[in-house]
Parts: sequence; structure tokens; C-alpha cells
Amino acid sequence: MWRAVSAGCRLLRPISATAGGALRLEPLPRVAGAPRGGCAAAGGGGAKALGAVAERRQAADTVLPKFNIDFVVPLLRQENAKDICVIQLPPEIKYCNYFIIVSGSSTRHLHAMAHYMLKMYKHHKEESDPHTRIEGKETDDWLCIDFGSIVMHFMLPETREAYELEKLWTLGSYDDQLAQMTPQSLPEDFIFGLTPNSSDHLETALSGKRNESAFTDLRDIQP
Amino acid sequence: QGLLRRSVSHSFLSFASITGACRAIQKLTRVRVVDNSALGNTPYHRPPKCIHVYNKTGVGKVGDTILLAIKGEKKKALIVGHKMPGPTMTPRFDSNNVVLIEDNGNPIGTRIKTPIPYILRRREGEFSKVLAIACNFV
Repeated sequence: MWRAVSAGCRLLRPISATAGGALRLEPLPRVAGAPRGGCAAAGGGGAKALGAVAERRQAADTVLPKFNIDFVVPLLRQENAKDICVIQLPPEIKYCNYFIIVSGSSTRHLHAMAHYMLKMYKHHKEESDPHTRIEGKETDDWLCIDFGSIVMHFMLPETREAYELEKLWTLGSYDDQLAQMTPQSLPEDFIFGLTPNSSDHLETALSGKRNESAFTDLRDIQP
Repeated sequence: QGLLRRSVSHSFLSFASITGACRAIQKLTRVRVVDNSALGNTPYHRPPKCIHVYNKTGVGKVGDTILLAIKGEKKKALIVGHKMPGPTMTPRFDSNNVVLIEDNGNPIGTRIKTPIPYILRRREGEFSKVLAIACNFV
């Protein structure tokens, strides 16, 4: 479980120095050192709250011994990828070990990076490993590849700003976009266990008109 | 107020019959949009309905794309949960949940609060984006 540290930015360390660690942002070469204020590469989005701290873990990739995180990130740097953001997810989230978000300068750049990563993966994998596909080939701003234990997203900077995936995956439930979503509350006459027969919209629109109670939509009971 | 009527089928809003979930999502099913897109969350006098299922059979299960009629416009959407029980050890939801996506596959909303099943990862299709904006997994 990672703890959200809400106090400002953390000082970044280069990825080669540490074996594990939570959130590592790779600054662009022209950004000097680890800046105190922004903790981000240039253009990375001002309000990145780097709050997540995880325990030290060995960067072990269970899928492929060779195609792991220390192999992937230098490849991305070689491809001139901007704002490489590597987030290490705790094992309670059984999604993947590493979540990488990368910005590119143009659509062609994103496509080129994605195809290059896929090519390197195919070169290094053995026959028993599952095939991987590039998702989002017909989009022009968001591509993504799921390598099993690593998931990579290639986005344009505007798309990155719009979705703010780094915030979601580091802050978890403290994310501000989540908080801004209007919370759906159960209506007063909600009774669990009965078959619902209407959807939310119909209920809110028509419940005002009809005074008699009606069954309401059974929302997912969040644990 | 808030009294529950026993005679279920009579005091309802316009629906003719209450059938249980027999087929998962097909044409004219009312669905629930679970992301935080503006299109999915602004109230409208008609619920969003499925008008086409992009599948050989006309029935959509988790991971299928459907065409939705929302607020007088047509939008594609991805099914993330349905009321019909599926294969064993897969979650069954109490509402037919759907996430709006563009024609190129990008999700329109930016966050999904409801739980999303893990089986989407195994299935063939472009689901990593939807999984990336989800917070709960089931």
C-alpha cells in the first residue's frame, strides 16, 4: 500500500541509482538537475503532485528476464521520449508492476516509439511469451502497449494533461478528478435486493413528476 | 414516502414488462454510463439506449463495443459489466455498465469510479485505455 505524501514535491533521483522506489520522473537533459519547484520535465504539467512513496523493491520483472524496466527506460531515452514517467504499482493492484507514461512530440513520433518498443520486445521474447499488440493505432494522440507486467502509454502532451493518469495512479483515491466527479448517492427509497427496472436518468427526471415511489436503479454496491 | 409497493408492475414508470436479465446487452437495452464524461452525466429525459451491437450475434457481453443513442446523438461505448451472469468466477453487476468511447477508441471520460472486471485484460481488444482510467478493479 503506498502512502500519499501530500507535501509538495519530492526530490528525484536518477533511475539508475536506485533499485526500486516509487515514482521516477526523468528530467529532460536541458532541465538542470532536480528542480526544487516543478519536479517535472519541462512541459510535464505543473500540478503533478508526486506524492506516492512505496517501499523499496527490487525491479524484478516476472514476465521476461531481459525485457524489464531497466531495459525499457534507456530505450525510451534513446528515442527522445519526453517526460518518461515510471510508476511502480504495489502488488495489491494486480494490474501490472510498472506503469509507464511517455510523451511524444508528434503523432509520428508516438507511432515510431510504439513500433520500436514492440520490435524490441519481439526480438527479446521467447516463444512461450504472449504476443503483444499496440492499441490505439487509429488514434493520433494515445497509443498503448500492454507487456504483461509493464504497461506503456504514449500520449501527446495535451492528451496527457487531459487525462492526468499519473495523478490517478499515484494518488489513488485522493485524486482530484475523482473528487470532482459528482458522487452518486442512493435515493431514499432504495432497497437492496430488488430487481431494478429503470436507469438513473429516467429516475432523476421522472421521480420529481411522480410522487409515488418507484424502484430505483440498483447501483453497484461499492465495498 | 419511500414506501415500497408490492404491486411492482403497476406503479412503474412506463415499462411494460419486467424481465430478468436473459441476454446481456442487445438493441434497445437501457444502459448506465459510468465514466465522468459530460455526455454521460447530464440528465436527459430518455435513458441512453443501445442501438447496435458490434458483434456477430446481436448480444453484447463484457468487452464488446456497442452503439449508444445518448441525448440525441450516437456514440460508441464499451460494455464493462452486465446484469446477466457470465462465466463462473467473473463478476456480475447490478446494472449494465458502459463506458463511452470515441470512434478511434479513446475514452471520452477521464475517470471511472465503478469497479471494472479484470477479464478485460485477457480479452482481445483495445481495453488498456479504459483500464488506465479506472480506479477499482474487480
